[in-house]
Amino acid sequence: MTQFSYIGKRIPKPDAWAKATGQVVYGHDLKVPRMLYGKILRSPLPHARILHIDTSRAERLPGVKAVITAKDFPPRRFGFAKDRTPLKGDKVRRVGDEVAAVAAVDEDTAEEALELIHVEYEPLPPVFDPEEALKPDAPLIHEERESNLFRHQEYVHGDPDRGLDEADVVVEDYYELGYMQPTPLETCFCLAAFDPSGRLTVWSTTQIPFLLQRDLAEALGIPGSHIRIIQTAIGGGFGRGLDMYSFEPICVWLAKKAGQPVRLAFTRQEEFIAAECRQPMRIWARSGAMKDGRLWVRDVKILLDNGAYVSWGTVTTLVFMETVGSLYRVPHARVISDSVYTNNPITGAVRGFGNPQSTFVVETQMDRLAEAIGMDPLEFRLRNVNRPFEETPQGIKITSCGLKECLEEAARRIGWERRKKKEASGTKRRGIGIAATMNVGGGARIYRSDGCGAIVKVDDFGQITVMTGATEIGQGSDVIVAQIVAEVLGVQPDKIVIVNNDTALTPWDVGVHASRTTFIAGKSALFAAQEVKRQILETAEELLEVSAADLELRDGYVVVRGSPDRRVPFDKVVRARHFREGGQVIVGHGWYDPPNEMVGADGKGNISAAYGFGAQAIEVEVDIETGKVKPLWVVSAHDVGRAINPMYVEGQIEGGVVMGLGYALLEELQVREGRVRNPTLLDYRLLTALDAPKIESVIVETDDPEGPFGAKGVGEMGTNPTAAAVANAIYDAIGVRITSLPITPEKVLRALKEQRSGEQ
Amino acid sequence: MKPFEYYAPETLEAAVEIMARYEEGVYPVAGGTDLIPKMRYGQIQPKVVVNLKRIPGLAEIVPQDDGSLKIGALATLTQVASSPKVRERYLMVAQIAGKMASVPVRNLATVGGNLCNAAPSADLAPPLIALDAEAVIFGPQGERRVPLEAFFTGPGQTVLGRGELLTAVVVPPPDPQARGTYIKHAHREALDIAIVGVAAWVRFEEGGSVCEDAHIVLGAVAPTPIRAREAEAAIRGAPLTEERIAEAGRLAAEAARPIDDVRGSAWYRREMVAVLTRRALFSVTISQ
Repeated sequence: MTQFSYIGKRIPKPDAWAKATGQVVYGHDLKVPRMLYGKILRSPLPHARILHIDTSRAERLPGVKAVITAKDFPPRRFGFAKDRTPLKGDKVRRVGDEVAAVAAVDEDTAEEALELIHVEYEPLPPVFDPEEALKPDAPLIHEERESNLFRHQEYVHGDPDRGLDEADVVVEDYYELGYMQPTPLETCFCLAAFDPSGRLTVWSTTQIPFLLQRDLAEALGIPGSHIRIIQTAIGGGFGRGLDMYSFEPICVWLAKKAGQPVRLAFTRQEEFIAAECRQPMRIWARSGAMKDGRLWVRDVKILLDNGAYVSWGTVTTLVFMETVGSLYRVPHARVISDSVYTNNPITGAVRGFGNPQSTFVVETQMDRLAEAIGMDPLEFRLRNVNRPFEETPQGIKITSCGLKECLEEAARRIGWERRKKKEASGTKRRGIGIAATMNVGGGARIYRSDGCGAIVKVDDFGQITVMTGATEIGQGSDVIVAQIVAEVLGVQPDKIVIVNNDTALTPWDVGVHASRTTFIAGKSALFAAQEVKRQILETAEELLEVSAADLELRDGYVVVRGSPDRRVPFDKVVRARHFREGGQVIVGHGWYDPPNEMVGADGKGNISAAYGFGAQAIEVEVDIETGKVKPLWVVSAHDVGRAINPMYVEGQIEGGVVMGLGYALLEELQVREGRVRNPTLLDYRLLTALDAPKIESVIVETDDPEGPFGAKGVGEMGTNPTAAAVANAIYDAIGVRITSLPITPEKVLRALKEQRSGEQ
Repeated sequence: MKPFEYYAPETLEAAVEIMARYEEGVYPVAGGTDLIPKMRYGQIQPKVVVNLKRIPGLAEIVPQDDGSLKIGALATLTQVASSPKVRERYLMVAQIAGKMASVPVRNLATVGGNLCNAAPSADLAPPLIALDAEAVIFGPQGERRVPLEAFFTGPGQTVLGRGELLTAVVVPPPDPQARGTYIKHAHREALDIAIVGVAAWVRFEEGGSVCEDAHIVLGAVAPTPIRAREAEAAIRGAPLTEERIAEAGRLAAEAARPIDDVRGSAWYRREMVAVLTRRALFSVTISQ
């Protein structure tokens, strides 16, 4: 086995202390001279025509420096489907739609100014139910379209109808999955400033700095070359920052109109109302199996509620298809999806991106099938696992694959055999459930490039600086990149400076999503470091008069192999290369765009260059009188190729599990008639430390052939299987199956009462 | 947040005098854990805020000569939770005070704030009502006392009149024959509001299991915390058997007048009243 110096080491996060002690400067903390405070006036109605907007009183309020409406903007649309403008001029399509905005000397004045803006609306009939929205007489939300159907997609492999006929058993369920908020601790933030030459700088919490640069250019008619995005320390993302939202062009335009920098930050309530959330889905699903334990067919129909506008989140159907079509070997599969406009909140990207929904369906039906053929659910899964280096009928080329090991390890550690001998005590019943997941782990080509660039330079003090397109949102990518460069150049990772937050300096990257950063940014940094190593050795050869083949890099020195006394420090190498006629700097650059492909219209294609696999076993305790479900213990095993930093892998798994438990049991944005009923952290419940159970993370290493040092992505995986494993554990405990999320005490209690009345 | 007038009087009389000047829009503040967020979210816009924290003595927890305990309105939840005087006499009060909200909030939030805010789900109300606590009110006409049960008149509403302040609650001397407990049912272990809260206080006949007297108080299932008197009557004067306890649960559920809201449906709340009442009564029986 290869011996590594820095790969696989548990290097703590260098900013952990600063974060815990409040010393990190987040976007919300930023102040620049002459900065104004921006606020947005939002629609109180879900669907209405705007008849008139009177901003005159707001404009006269002392301290107000700019008031804007749709009229102030160039007539450009933005968004995934180009279906909106930053401020709405003709009509509003959801509660919270942006109608006007102000910039003032302080927040109170800005808020007061909003109250002075008078908007006259003519209410239009709204539509909140996605099935209603598809009816021919439904109110049309985007009048330029023929219907509220945004997209219809079909995916088929094999012959699902024949498969359903052939299968010895078929199970069928209807699922209703609700809204979930990404809920990062830091709410949306933007600070926009024009310099005297008219160039724009935007400080942002975005996860897509380079696409934001492009999107702002497109929405505002400013050349992209005049826009610089600087990412502040970001207080979490979870997918929230994957689209440009309206507030960003609004903030820029306020700054332009006021001629002063403008800061715009969401309140927590605004975050709940206006930040994009996980798609609610209605799902009709059938799965079939043969009595001998072969999984035979899956047939799924999805109705996805986009909300009032379409974001990148609508692509979640692709991820959904992947899990239905390729998690376990399944000869026949079909997914039909409709994504629909409604007058509900906008949905978008949230960790897992369609996978928590599909895994919930697929993995609860795996349990149902196992029961129907009288097989242990673990055994049934193991018989159907994906194997390494096989291509699925979907065109997914699996390389490294540790699904079998993950299932076995999760089951072994939780004590799977305990399922058979259950002890009931009082009103508490315990159960154990398992669920697996498959997730892109080598990028995901949903944009024409899935690439990332890196630049590594060594200065004449020997300092190594890495400029990477990768975005750090708390997951630890800066240290991962440093560990990879450190391994190549033979220096301690903490000696490496990472610059990763400024589009004026860093090379392009598509964004932090799809669990792709270790794999792709890591590999591009690896290439850049290798180039630097070549340059160092080239000059060291001359200095040491030894062939490069006999030199190695160690602790900041070029050392002659076998003669540790014969060495030259990096800084000397660099100076020798700089300070001479025809001198050169030591700079290496790397670009990595993985060998994956866009999924075709038929839903097929190898979307990722590698796939991560995982399995979670969860033990729960159900109170049969109150319906309350308490997760007791989670074992989460994940095939991550190779863990560059096991501590961060565990961090991602633990965080993922907690988020998955939230989806399973607690978190629900309650939307009634387009209005969010619980826009507070009190009533939108994340798990607290007291609610989180013991989580045991298991890392399964399979050494991926394509990933940097064999690594694959892990960021989202922990969230995907949790709800299914919890639902399976509840069934094991009390024999009741809940097919809607979150599984509230009330749903459990109702189901128990129905079960009892059915027995009588 | 809109501008407002601010006072920080140093005597109760001065505070009451300021409060009495205004018919509306005047708010006392102590911990500020309810008031400040409401002001920030624009739910209320006070004209006048009167800070009570400079008035000496209001935060004290003092045993009275008759054996009762006076808990000052400005005592924080942390104080109540950790006070041996409260713990030894009324454990259920100390226990719930130590579980409400979160540590930082408990360090600021006060007994008076929890009660005067008059949320139907206020956690201190059911156990204190079950203990027959009295509210001590000071106003322009001097001091008056009302049973805490009668203090609440609706969601966010109390008997406090113009210029009046809650200065303390007085809890009667502990009864050596009595046991009490409060069960809070919430979605989360911390930082949450009760879906339903039930307090039960039972006095047993000396050396026996016969229930001499019982108080059952329900929180979050009516516009105010309420006593379930039919349920109390059903268990009074007889041993607390499983059947009687089940009957009390059923009667308590009947007494509840819950609503549907973001935390739970009326149906679920009513079901939980029965379950929690049973559990509370079992618990005091077992600890007997």
